[in-house]
Amino acid sequence: MGTVSEPGGAGGNVNREGETPEQVVVPAAETDETSVTEEGTELERSIGLVGGLSIGVGTMIGAGIFVFPGLAAGRAGPAAAGSFAIGAVIALLVALPASELATAMPRSGGGYYFVSRALGALPGAVVGISIWLGLVFATAFYLVGFGNYAVAVLLEIGASVGDGTVVALALAFGVLLTVLNLLGTENAASLQNYVVGLLLAILLVFLTYGSLDALGVLGRSSAPETFMPFGPVPVFTTAALVFTSYLGFAQVATVAGDIKHPGRNLPLAMVGSVLLVGVLYVATVFVATSAFGSAALSGFGETAIVEVARALGGGVGATAILVGGLLATVSSANASILATSRAVFAVSKDALVPRFAGRMNLRYGTPHVALAMAGGPVLVLVALGEVEVLAEVASFLHLVMYGLICVSLIAIRRDEPEWYDPDFRVPAYPLIAGLGALASFGLIAFMQPASQVVGLAVMVVSAGWYRYYAADVSLKGVL
Amino acid sequence: MSREDPGGSGPAIREPPKVLVPVRVLEGQTVPEPLIEFLAPSDVVVLGYHVIPEQTATEQASMQFEDRAREAVADIAAGFEAAGRGVERRVAFTHDRDQTIARVAEEVGATAVLLPNPVGDVEDVLVAVRGAIDVDRLADLVATLLAEGDQRVTLWGLGNGTADFDAEAAVERARETLRDRGLAGTRVTAETTASDAPVRDVVERSGEFDVIVMGEGGPTLLSLLLGDAPERVAEETVAPVLVVRPRPDRG
Repeated sequence: MGTVSEPGGAGGNVNREGETPEQVVVPAAETDETSVTEEGTELERSIGLVGGLSIGVGTMIGAGIFVFPGLAAGRAGPAAAGSFAIGAVIALLVALPASELATAMPRSGGGYYFVSRALGALPGAVVGISIWLGLVFATAFYLVGFGNYAVAVLLEIGASVGDGTVVALALAFGVLLTVLNLLGTENAASLQNYVVGLLLAILLVFLTYGSLDALGVLGRSSAPETFMPFGPVPVFTTAALVFTSYLGFAQVATVAGDIKHPGRNLPLAMVGSVLLVGVLYVATVFVATSAFGSAALSGFGETAIVEVARALGGGVGATAILVGGLLATVSSANASILATSRAVFAVSKDALVPRFAGRMNLRYGTPHVALAMAGGPVLVLVALGEVEVLAEVASFLHLVMYGLICVSLIAIRRDEPEWYDPDFRVPAYPLIAGLGALASFGLIAFMQPASQVVGLAVMVVSAGWYRYYAADVSLKGVL
Repeated sequence: MSREDPGGSGPAIREPPKVLVPVRVLEGQTVPEPLIEFLAPSDVVVLGYHVIPEQTATEQASMQFEDRAREAVADIAAGFEAAGRGVERRVAFTHDRDQTIARVAEEVGATAVLLPNPVGDVEDVLVAVRGAIDVDRLADLVATLLAEGDQRVTLWGLGNGTADFDAEAAVERARETLRDRGLAGTRVTAETTASDAPVRDVVERSGEFDVIVMGEGGPTLLSLLLGDAPERVAEETVAPVLVVRPRPDRG
């Protein structure tokens, strides 16, 4: 950060276009229900606890339950449940520091905002741009998952399906979601609440029935199997793969500026959604591997869970899970597109990318440039159709941010600035944040080389962009 | 509820009524001149708001449109100031209009909220008295607004035929309170109708009146599906609706 000028340095704090970071909200005038701008305009906070939980759960549940169980069981055997548990622990270790930082800085932008304010503009820019692309990779992954479910539905109703259908359907839906978002929605969030509620209901029935079955209560014998047929290492590489199932809690922080009673609702929504989906994931993988054995499960691929439901509940079970899979993958993809556009806005507000990236049009009131920067690259990645690489790169880029969030907490707490007044404080913070950072960076080591290369390349390009475009912009400690 | 007014003479208003006037500023909505004059005797809070879709951060909208919104609100406020009393200005960007209006109404302690509609000269005012309305507060508001003018008031009690609301008694009390507040009895007409669907009945008669005053009405199953009663009235009629809010201590 050699070229970063001191905060507030007059004249120095501009990017290549001459734009300076814009301060919109006055931190001191923050209330539970509004943020207030310098001129006194009120910005309403309109998302409650249920809405926050639904963003977290809705983003995560699509991948962990409906896409990964088959892939994970193929790699790690029944110990795939352990992989999901490892993911949950890491996510929790990060969710706690992220919650503290979010209650101290309840603004749009989430992780990017914390890192840039705590560690400075260079790490901020790397995280901000990486997270934009990380979300793009995640969205593409969810859409391919959707394509798999759509094809499974077509097969179910007896349609003949060609080779490229998964990608074609994923592309079509990606376009549809982007256009819908460009036109603007007013009740999609409450719709999302109902979708998440329905998904939880379906899963609860499925898991209750499946657990009884797996424990032998229902009298069907399940194949006993070695817990770790491939040894302990695949448990970790699988954890790295399936970590994409835990990316949603940070999306709650990206809309922190819209959350009511942020001091209470942000920690509850973030930690609560991680705990909830963590338990569901572990239970699902346990039920799935008990019902079929991991080899058979792996053969079913992305929609393995449908076959589990069919074995347990016949046609009705399979249909319920198919519908659930369609809803879950769409809601994950849509939530990620929205988070992407918020992430782009956050970096453009801070002059790290051109200001026009955050412009909105008055006709539809939507940030069309940012949404295009979300939807466009998603379509390119969907066309590649590489599920595992997409998932891992998304996780890689998120994990870098997660690790830096933990580092940010330590940095801020060691020398607390005057403005730092979080409503929620992590107990034993050096331990939790330290472990969180180590675990986040550590998990990256277990990924496929291809994902690591792509992830690193994104980070290097982001840093290069910062040097080229916004080297004089300083954000550290600027609220 | 049995408030005695020992003096009985002169406009004994307990609290100066305060009317919240929410305006969708960026869509060019304004408040018609006759309505500004009609509201001039009360304190006015102009709330300029802009509803943005979920895709957009409120910060984002304010960065781009704050100045325009503030100017539009200043214009409207200037109109009220020219007509009479003090005007408070609020500007808000929101994803949820109802939440913002309810919050600001609460914060400023508004007696009533205006749901604007176009209007000509205000001559006839309909006061719909349904269940669960604070008659004293309603009378305070109406008496203040009409004290100086010569508009006619129709008090219309809409009974639902159940024992928990006696429309006739409520209308009678409203009439008495208005008289206590100094409104000439000749300007007030009172009538009562038994009604199963007060909202529909109000809408049907709304053509005869220039302004409608009514209570919020409690949440019902129907209001969950179709929106609050006053909003339905405002949507289906051409007249502006003044919604009287219950006093805070009455929940």
